[in-house]
Amino acid sequence: MLEKTRRDVLAGAASVAFASPTLARTITGEEPWQPGEAHPPLAAGPGPLQFLTEREAAVLDAMVDRLIPTDELGPGGREAGCTIFIDRQLAGPYGVNDGLYTQGPFAEHPLPTQGPQNPLTPREQYRHGLAALDAYCQSNFAGRAFDGLSAAEQDRLLGDLQKGAVTLPGFDAKALFTAVHTNAMEGFFADPIYGGNRDMAGWRLVGFPGTRYDYRDVMDRPNQPYTLPPVSIQGRPAWQKASR
Amino acid sequence: MTERLPRKDVVIVGLGWTGSIMALELARAGLDVVAIERGPWRDTATDFNIGTAPDELRYGIRHDTLLRPRRKR
Repeated sequence: MLEKTRRDVLAGAASVAFASPTLARTITGEEPWQPGEAHPPLAAGPGPLQFLTEREAAVLDAMVDRLIPTDELGPGGREAGCTIFIDRQLAGPYGVNDGLYTQGPFAEHPLPTQGPQNPLTPREQYRHGLAALDAYCQSNFAGRAFDGLSAAEQDRLLGDLQKGAVTLPGFDAKALFTAVHTNAMEGFFADPIYGGNRDMAGWRLVGFPGTRYDYRDVMDRPNQPYTLPPVSIQGRPAWQKASR
Repeated sequence: MTERLPRKDVVIVGLGWTGSIMALELARAGLDVVAIERGPWRDTATDFNIGTAPDELRYGIRHDTLLRPRRKR
Protein backbone atom coordinates (compact mmCIF):
# COMPACT_ATOMS: atom_id res chain seq x y z
CA MET A 1 0.00 0.00 0.00
CA LEU A 2 2.99 2.25 0.41
CA GLU A 3 3.67 2.23 -3.33
CA LYS A 4 0.88 4.54 -4.37
CA THR A 5 0.96 5.54 -7.99
CA ARG A 6 0.14 9.01 -9.16
CA ARG A 7 -3.02 7.60 -10.71
CA ASP A 8 -4.15 6.15 -7.35
CA VAL A 9 -3.70 9.48 -5.62
CA LEU A 10 -5.64 11.36 -8.28
CA ALA A 11 -8.41 8.77 -8.26
CA GLY A 12 -8.59 8.99 -4.47
CA ALA A 13 -8.77 12.77 -4.58
CA ALA A 14 -11.53 12.63 -7.17
CA SER A 15 -13.67 10.28 -5.12
CA VAL A 16 -13.27 12.53 -2.08
CA ALA A 17 -14.33 15.54 -4.10
CA PHE A 18 -17.47 13.81 -5.30
CA ALA A 19 -18.21 12.23 -1.92
CA SER A 20 -18.38 15.66 -0.22
CA PRO A 21 -21.94 16.43 0.86
CA THR A 22 -23.92 18.43 -1.63
CA LEU A 23 -26.94 20.60 -0.93
CA ALA A 24 -29.25 19.04 -3.45
CA ARG A 25 -30.45 15.48 -3.57
CA THR A 26 -32.40 13.59 -6.17
CA ILE A 27 -35.74 12.13 -5.21
CA THR A 28 -37.42 9.56 -7.41
CA GLY A 29 -40.27 7.18 -6.80
CA GLU A 30 -40.98 8.17 -3.19
CA GLU A 31 -42.05 11.18 -1.21
CA PRO A 32 -39.47 12.47 1.25
CA TRP A 33 -41.94 13.70 3.84
CA GLN A 34 -44.27 12.19 6.39
CA PRO A 35 -47.95 13.11 6.48
CA GLY A 36 -48.75 15.54 9.29
CA GLU A 37 -45.13 16.57 9.86
CA ALA A 38 -45.20 19.56 12.21
CA HIS A 39 -42.64 22.13 13.28
CA PRO A 40 -44.08 23.70 16.41
CA PRO A 41 -42.20 26.60 18.01
CA LEU A 42 -39.41 25.48 20.31
CA ALA A 43 -40.28 26.45 23.87
CA ALA A 44 -37.57 28.24 25.84
CA GLY A 45 -37.35 26.13 28.92
CA PRO A 46 -36.56 27.25 32.43
CA GLY A 47 -33.14 26.63 33.91
CA PRO A 48 -29.73 28.28 33.93
CA LEU A 49 -28.44 30.78 31.38
CA GLN A 50 -27.61 29.20 28.04
CA PHE A 51 -25.41 31.83 26.43
CA LEU A 52 -25.00 34.90 28.64
CA THR A 53 -22.66 34.93 31.60
CA GLU A 54 -24.01 35.88 35.03
CA ARG A 55 -22.30 39.29 34.72
CA GLU A 56 -23.77 39.95 31.27
CA ALA A 57 -27.20 38.91 32.49
CA ALA A 58 -26.95 41.26 35.48
CA VAL A 59 -26.07 44.19 33.20
CA LEU A 60 -28.83 43.28 30.74
CA ASP A 61 -31.30 42.98 33.62
CA ALA A 62 -30.39 46.54 34.62
CA MET A 63 -30.69 47.78 31.02
CA VAL A 64 -34.10 46.24 30.29
CA ASP A 65 -35.30 47.43 33.68
CA ARG A 66 -34.57 51.02 32.64
CA LEU A 67 -35.98 50.57 29.11
CA ILE A 68 -39.22 49.13 30.50
CA PRO A 69 -39.36 50.01 34.21
CA THR A 70 -41.73 48.34 36.60
CA ASP A 71 -44.38 50.88 37.53
CA GLU A 72 -48.05 51.25 38.36
CA LEU A 73 -48.92 49.94 34.89
CA GLY A 74 -47.37 46.54 35.59
CA PRO A 75 -44.17 44.53 35.54
CA GLY A 76 -41.16 45.86 33.64
CA GLY A 77 -38.63 44.23 31.34
CA ARG A 78 -36.73 42.50 34.13
CA GLU A 79 -39.81 40.93 35.74
CA ALA A 80 -41.22 39.99 32.34
CA GLY A 81 -38.10 37.91 31.61
CA CYS A 82 -36.59 39.97 28.77
CA THR A 83 -33.08 38.87 29.80
CA ILE A 84 -34.04 35.18 29.70
CA PHE A 85 -35.67 35.80 26.32
CA ILE A 86 -32.48 37.38 24.97
CA ASP A 87 -30.38 34.56 26.44
CA ARG A 88 -32.53 31.87 24.81
CA GLN A 89 -32.64 33.72 21.48
CA LEU A 90 -28.86 34.08 21.45
CA ALA A 91 -28.44 30.40 22.31
CA GLY A 92 -30.70 29.43 19.40
CA PRO A 93 -30.50 29.89 15.61
CA TYR A 94 -31.04 33.67 15.87
CA GLY A 95 -27.79 33.97 17.84
CA VAL A 96 -25.67 32.75 14.93
CA ASN A 97 -27.60 34.50 12.12
CA ASP A 98 -28.69 31.07 10.93
CA GLY A 99 -29.99 31.30 7.36
CA LEU A 100 -29.14 34.97 6.91
CA TYR A 101 -26.79 36.28 4.28
CA THR A 102 -24.07 38.08 6.24
CA GLN A 103 -21.23 38.44 3.77
CA GLY A 104 -20.22 41.68 2.09
CA PRO A 105 -20.16 44.02 0.39
CA PHE A 106 -21.20 46.28 3.26
CA ALA A 107 -22.50 49.77 2.59
CA GLU A 108 -20.65 52.62 4.27
CA HIS A 109 -23.78 54.77 4.43
CA PRO A 110 -26.56 52.18 4.35
CA LEU A 111 -30.21 53.00 3.95
CA PRO A 112 -32.34 52.25 7.00
CA THR A 113 -33.92 49.39 5.04
CA GLN A 114 -30.61 47.68 4.37
CA GLY A 115 -30.26 46.06 7.78
CA PRO A 116 -27.06 45.41 9.68
CA GLN A 117 -23.96 46.07 7.60
CA ASN A 118 -21.46 43.84 9.36
CA PRO A 119 -20.80 40.11 9.62
CA LEU A 120 -21.22 40.05 13.43
CA THR A 121 -23.69 37.53 14.78
CA PRO A 122 -26.05 38.62 17.56
CA ARG A 123 -23.95 36.50 19.94
CA GLU A 124 -20.80 38.43 19.01
CA GLN A 125 -22.65 41.74 19.26
CA TYR A 126 -23.75 41.03 22.82
CA ARG A 127 -20.41 39.54 23.93
CA HIS A 128 -18.30 42.38 22.50
CA GLY A 129 -20.86 45.12 23.13
CA LEU A 130 -21.43 44.30 26.79
CA ALA A 131 -17.67 43.92 27.35
CA ALA A 132 -17.14 47.35 25.80
CA LEU A 133 -19.90 48.85 27.95
CA ASP A 134 -18.34 47.28 31.03
CA ALA A 135 -14.92 48.74 30.19
CA TYR A 136 -16.50 52.15 29.60
CA CYS A 137 -18.34 52.08 32.94
CA GLN A 138 -15.27 50.87 34.83
CA SER A 139 -13.19 53.79 33.60
CA ASN A 140 -15.87 56.51 33.70
CA PHE A 141 -17.80 55.65 36.87
CA ALA A 142 -14.93 54.90 39.26
CA GLY A 143 -14.93 51.14 38.80
CA ARG A 144 -18.69 50.66 38.97
CA ALA A 145 -20.38 48.44 36.38
CA PHE A 146 -23.60 49.44 34.61
CA ASP A 147 -25.79 47.60 37.11
CA GLY A 148 -24.03 49.45 39.94
CA LEU A 149 -25.04 52.90 38.66
CA SER A 150 -28.03 54.86 39.94
CA ALA A 151 -31.19 54.83 37.86
CA ALA A 152 -30.56 58.42 36.75
CA GLU A 153 -27.00 57.59 35.67
CA GLN A 154 -28.24 54.51 33.82
CA ASP A 155 -30.92 56.53 32.02
CA ARG A 156 -28.41 59.19 30.98
CA LEU A 157 -25.92 56.58 29.73
CA LEU A 158 -28.63 54.67 27.83
CA GLY A 159 -29.70 57.93 26.19
CA ASP A 160 -26.09 58.65 25.22
CA LEU A 161 -25.70 55.14 23.80
CA GLN A 162 -28.87 55.61 21.76
CA LYS A 163 -27.66 58.92 20.35
CA GLY A 164 -24.11 57.67 19.86
CA ALA A 165 -22.95 60.46 22.18
CA VAL A 166 -20.47 58.20 23.95
CA THR A 167 -17.70 56.11 22.43
CA LEU A 168 -17.34 52.59 23.77
CA PRO A 169 -13.89 51.01 23.45
CA GLY A 170 -14.05 48.74 20.43
CA PHE A 171 -17.81 48.65 19.83
CA ASP A 172 -20.40 50.93 18.27
CA ALA A 173 -22.51 52.38 21.10
CA LYS A 174 -25.58 52.81 18.89
CA ALA A 175 -25.37 49.21 17.67
CA LEU A 176 -25.32 47.90 21.24
CA PHE A 177 -28.30 50.06 22.20
CA THR A 178 -30.24 49.04 19.10
CA ALA A 179 -29.62 45.34 19.75
CA VAL A 180 -30.69 45.51 23.41
CA HIS A 181 -33.66 47.80 22.68
CA THR A 182 -34.92 45.67 19.78
CA ASN A 183 -34.54 42.37 21.60
CA ALA A 184 -36.02 43.77 24.83
CA MET A 185 -39.12 44.87 22.93
CA GLU A 186 -39.32 41.46 21.26
CA GLY A 187 -38.96 39.77 24.63
CA PHE A 188 -41.62 41.95 26.21
CA PHE A 189 -44.19 41.45 23.46
CA ALA A 190 -43.38 38.08 21.86
CA ASP A 191 -45.24 34.97 22.91
CA PRO A 192 -44.26 33.77 26.42
CA ILE A 193 -43.16 30.47 24.86
CA TYR A 194 -39.83 32.17 24.06
CA GLY A 195 -39.03 33.02 27.68
CA GLY A 196 -40.10 36.69 27.89
CA ASN A 197 -43.52 38.36 28.27
CA ARG A 198 -43.95 36.45 31.53
CA ASP A 199 -47.60 35.94 32.47
CA MET A 200 -48.32 37.82 29.23
CA ALA A 201 -47.43 41.05 31.03
CA GLY A 202 -46.66 42.87 27.78
CA TRP A 203 -49.96 41.83 26.24
CA ARG A 204 -51.93 42.79 29.34
CA LEU A 205 -50.27 46.22 29.25
CA VAL A 206 -51.42 46.99 25.69
CA GLY A 207 -54.62 44.92 25.74
CA PHE A 208 -53.47 42.43 23.10
CA PRO A 209 -55.68 39.31 23.02
CA GLY A 210 -52.88 36.89 22.04
CA THR A 211 -53.58 33.84 19.91
CA ARG A 212 -57.30 33.36 20.49
CA TYR A 213 -58.74 30.88 18.02
CA ASP A 214 -61.43 33.28 16.85
CA TYR A 215 -63.71 36.06 18.06
CA ARG A 216 -67.14 34.87 16.97
CA ASP A 217 -68.67 35.15 20.45
CA VAL A 218 -67.32 38.70 20.79
CA MET A 219 -68.53 39.78 17.37
CA ASP A 220 -72.06 38.94 18.42
CA ARG A 221 -71.82 41.66 21.08
CA PRO A 222 -70.66 44.82 19.26
CA ASN A 223 -69.66 48.10 20.90
CA GLN A 224 -68.54 46.47 24.12
CA PRO A 225 -64.98 46.51 25.39
CA TYR A 226 -63.02 43.30 24.89
CA THR A 227 -62.28 41.95 28.35
CA LEU A 228 -61.12 38.36 27.85
CA PRO A 229 -57.62 37.66 29.18
CA PRO A 230 -54.84 37.02 26.65
CA VAL A 231 -53.98 33.53 25.44
CA SER A 232 -50.51 32.34 24.45
CA ILE A 233 -49.47 29.59 22.04
CA GLN A 234 -49.33 27.29 25.05
CA GLY A 235 -52.76 28.40 26.22
CA ARG A 236 -53.31 29.99 29.62
CA PRO A 237 -51.89 28.92 32.98
CA ALA A 238 -55.45 28.43 34.23
CA TRP A 239 -56.18 25.94 31.44
CA GLN A 240 -53.02 23.97 32.11
CA LYS A 241 -53.89 23.66 35.80
CA ALA A 242 -57.37 22.48 34.91
CA SER A 243 -56.09 19.74 32.58
CA ARG A 244 -53.66 18.28 35.11
CA MET B 1 -17.65 24.02 -11.51
CA THR B 2 -20.09 23.12 -14.24
CA GLU B 3 -21.77 19.77 -13.84
CA ARG B 4 -23.48 18.20 -16.83
CA LEU B 5 -26.66 16.45 -15.78
CA PRO B 6 -28.47 13.76 -17.75
CA ARG B 7 -30.70 15.13 -20.47
CA LYS B 8 -34.45 15.19 -19.69
CA ASP B 9 -37.50 16.07 -21.75
CA VAL B 10 -38.76 18.61 -19.23
CA VAL B 11 -37.22 20.47 -16.31
CA ILE B 12 -39.64 22.15 -13.92
CA VAL B 13 -38.19 24.87 -11.73
CA GLY B 14 -40.26 25.19 -8.55
CA LEU B 15 -42.53 22.32 -7.59
CA GLY B 16 -45.42 24.27 -6.06
CA TRP B 17 -49.05 23.91 -7.03
CA THR B 18 -48.52 24.94 -10.65
CA GLY B 19 -45.30 23.04 -11.12
CA SER B 20 -46.71 19.90 -9.50
CA ILE B 21 -49.74 19.79 -11.75
CA MET B 22 -47.62 20.45 -14.84
CA ALA B 23 -45.16 17.74 -13.77
CA LEU B 24 -47.95 15.23 -13.24
CA GLU B 25 -49.61 16.00 -16.57
CA LEU B 26 -46.33 15.83 -18.49
CA ALA B 27 -45.23 12.62 -16.78
CA ARG B 28 -48.61 11.05 -17.55
CA ALA B 29 -48.14 12.08 -21.16
CA GLY B 30 -45.00 9.95 -21.19
CA LEU B 31 -42.33 12.64 -20.92
CA ASP B 32 -39.25 12.27 -18.74
CA VAL B 33 -39.65 15.02 -16.13
CA VAL B 34 -37.28 16.34 -13.49
CA ALA B 35 -38.35 19.04 -11.01
CA ILE B 36 -36.07 21.38 -9.10
CA GLU B 37 -37.37 22.59 -5.75
CA ARG B 38 -35.48 24.15 -2.85
CA GLY B 39 -38.17 24.41 -0.23
CA PRO B 40 -39.51 21.84 2.21
CA TRP B 41 -42.95 20.30 2.07
CA ARG B 42 -45.64 22.71 3.27
CA ASP B 43 -48.83 21.59 4.87
CA THR B 44 -51.67 23.96 5.75
CA ALA B 45 -52.66 22.19 8.94
CA THR B 46 -49.16 22.22 10.42
CA ASP B 47 -47.19 25.02 8.75
CA PHE B 48 -50.05 27.50 8.83
CA ASN B 49 -51.67 26.22 12.00
CA ILE B 50 -54.15 28.67 13.45
CA GLY B 51 -52.70 28.14 16.92
CA THR B 52 -49.16 29.13 15.94
CA ALA B 53 -49.62 31.27 12.80
CA PRO B 54 -50.15 34.53 14.78
CA ASP B 55 -46.60 34.14 16.18
CA GLU B 56 -45.26 37.53 15.12
CA LEU B 57 -41.73 36.91 16.37
CA ARG B 58 -41.33 33.67 14.45
CA TYR B 59 -43.00 34.67 11.20
CA GLY B 60 -43.22 38.47 11.08
CA ILE B 61 -39.78 39.27 12.49
CA ARG B 62 -37.59 36.19 12.08
CA HIS B 63 -39.30 35.28 8.74
CA ASP B 64 -39.49 31.58 9.54
CA THR B 65 -41.78 30.74 6.60
CA LEU B 66 -39.50 32.25 4.01
CA LEU B 67 -36.67 30.26 2.53
CA ARG B 68 -33.30 31.55 3.57
CA PRO B 69 -30.67 32.84 1.16
CA ARG B 70 -28.06 30.77 2.98
CA ARG B 71 -28.54 27.07 3.62
CA LYS B 72 -26.87 24.88 6.17
CA ARG B 73 -24.15 22.69 4.72
